[in-house]
Amino acid sequence: MITRTTTNMMMQNAQRNLQTNMAALAKLQEQASSQKAITRPSDDPTATADSLRIRAEQRATEQHGRNIGDGTGWLTTIDSALATTTSLMNRVRDLTVRGANDGSMSPTAKEAIAVELDGLREELLNQANTTYQGRTVFAGNSDAGVAFASSPLYIHSGTGVAEDIVERRITEGTKVRVDADGPATFGEGIDSVFALVDRIASDLRSGNNVGAHLNTLDTHMTNIREQQAIVGTRHAQIQRAEETHMERTVSLEGQRAGVEDVDIAEVILDLQLQEVSYQTALAVTARVLQPTLMDFLR
Amino acid sequence: MSTFSGLNTAYTGLVAARKGLDVVGQNIANANTEGYTRQRVTTSSIGSLATVGPFAGPVTVGQGVSVDGVARLGNEFLDARVRSGASTAGYWAVRANVMTSLESTLQEPGENGLSRQLQDFFAAWQDVANAAGEPAPAGVLLEQAEVLVSQIAIGYREVENQWAQVRRETDGMVAELNDAAAQVADLNGRIRSTLQAGGSVNELLDKRNSLTSTIAALAGGTARQLDDGTVEVLIGGNAIVSGDSFRAVQATGTHVFGTLTADPPKLQWAHSGLAVSLDGGEIAGALSTLAPASAGAGGVLAEAAASYDAFAEKLAFAVNTFHNGAQSGTGATTGDFFAFTVGSAATTLAVLPTDVSTVATGVAGGGILDGSVADQIGNVSTSTAAGSPNVVWSDFVTSLGVITRSNLQQATLAELSATSAVSMQLSNASVDMDEENVNLLTHQVAYQGAARVMTAVDEMLDTLINRTGIVGR
Repeated sequence: MITRTTTNMMMQNAQRNLQTNMAALAKLQEQASSQKAITRPSDDPTATADSLRIRAEQRATEQHGRNIGDGTGWLTTIDSALATTTSLMNRVRDLTVRGANDGSMSPTAKEAIAVELDGLREELLNQANTTYQGRTVFAGNSDAGVAFASSPLYIHSGTGVAEDIVERRITEGTKVRVDADGPATFGEGIDSVFALVDRIASDLRSGNNVGAHLNTLDTHMTNIREQQAIVGTRHAQIQRAEETHMERTVSLEGQRAGVEDVDIAEVILDLQLQEVSYQTALAVTARVLQPTLMDFLR
Repeated sequence: MSTFSGLNTAYTGLVAARKGLDVVGQNIANANTEGYTRQRVTTSSIGSLATVGPFAGPVTVGQGVSVDGVARLGNEFLDARVRSGASTAGYWAVRANVMTSLESTLQEPGENGLSRQLQDFFAAWQDVANAAGEPAPAGVLLEQAEVLVSQIAIGYREVENQWAQVRRETDGMVAELNDAAAQVADLNGRIRSTLQAGGSVNELLDKRNSLTSTIAALAGGTARQLDDGTVEVLIGGNAIVSGDSFRAVQATGTHVFGTLTADPPKLQWAHSGLAVSLDGGEIAGALSTLAPASAGAGGVLAEAAASYDAFAEKLAFAVNTFHNGAQSGTGATTGDFFAFTVGSAATTLAVLPTDVSTVATGVAGGGILDGSVADQIGNVSTSTAAGSPNVVWSDFVTSLGVITRSNLQQATLAELSATSAVSMQLSNASVDMDEENVNLLTHQVAYQGAARVMTAVDEMLDTLINRTGIVGR
């Protein structure tokens, strides 16, 4: 129990209290100006762990956004290639039907159709070898530069292994396939749609009826539409992923702010209170420490 | 009773009052001297002369006042409390300081910490996966890997530097301890001889008291007052100062962080080489942070360094697991991504691939432009499995935060208790201006009173000597 109070003691106490007030003021000022509730792990170890986890997720999500962008590019490219392919195929079918009516057709007219078919085959091959940022979208992971070799073999350059697909990671646990199966779309080698068009053209030139090829042509068209549907589904999936990604980005930023950032209204209010108490401490100290008995002795 | 004894009585009063004024002067002069303990003049009344012989003499009064000495109004128990408070506060303050500066080297959480570099590194793998075989993303990845490796090494070096600094500071503190002990021994000798000669030792006691407090703050321990006026100071149960002799201590052990486990720093007696087991104080705090690592329970600095090593190893393991035996964007089979020496992974971690042809992207035997392995490595970024790099790092940062926080709290509590002990001591021992003013007044009035008595006696004698027997003259 302190029974005796001295000038010295009061001075020291006053100094210490002012120091404590000042330290609290400095801490609040740091929080208010930096807007950060935690600037070092010891401020709040639990929140620090949360903050590290959220920041890791934010960075990963940012990267997933890039992956989604890349994947969207692939799928859009394939989509438009398949749409073009479908209209090319429709033209091929029209010409084949016309060429099948060979009774009324002169060899010159047939030659004209055959020439157009050659052109269409070339165009089809172009579409099959469509690239996105230097990668052939129908060739899987091949680095051959083209999905289908040129006339007359039309060999697919993929390895043929089932895992030889291109995928993009859209969330931590989900990947989306962003390439299209070249052989399933166009066929391969002599069974390919290119070889078929070649055969139709040569049959036209040699005078054979081309009507027999219509069934095979229809099968190929069905295959292409099927692939288009599959690619469309994936495209829809990646677009949903893009929306989810944006929501997640916002929600993660909200979580981060909730853990790391200060409530500005609260801090400013605290700062005001602390300022008042600091000024009070200063004023009181100034009044208490001044007088001694000497001021009153004559 | 003699005619002139009244004069002498008044004279003793003058002397006592003057002595009192002198002591008040000394107190006021030292009002702000650190460690000064207020003093009081102690006086006692002198009794009347004893009457000798069979016949009772007339009633006699006392012979005045005697100045017995100048008392030092210290309190041994309050001093002991200050010492024990200083010892605990010193221990925790050093630990809290070390932890705080260690923690600030992490720069977590935020944009500049290692966790950010780690996430950037893994994100770079995803870019490589998106464009397998392209030199640009692979170049960015390798650059990012170098940044990560150097940041790990820098973190480790900072721990190492801090260890070396604390080690040097420990040497300084031990030198200070020996110096203080030598001074206490010297003061012991002077106090003993002055006391034997009957002199006043108040100022010497003040000086010795603040020195024993310094010793307590540095190395804990206790001080024992002996009958001859000397003080015996014990640290770890053995006397560092006894009478006018002292035993030096020394800090032995390595100054190089690398050889810490083989030769840990410790405090020992210079004469016998036996270890000093400290129970508190700054030196004990410093030594506790300097201790070698031992499965999480060793010195904080060595443990932090070990955590950097563990993190580097886990990182290398996590990446190499996928990287080894995969296939690069040019079709070559790849080896490890990170190389390191077991036991010093943080400083020896190195990136092995040099360009796109040695960075793994796909499954061996798959398509050349396959990016699935790079994707798997990139996906380690948010893995929550025990032992994944981000979990190891987060655990390290969090546990360091917890330890720092508890050390800071302990330091605050110890500081509070030490402050309260000092307050109690000051309350008892420090000079109060109002009180000294009152004393000043008292002694002044006493002096005036004694002078008045002397004047009265003088006038009385004047009447007797000069005015008596002159009738009719």
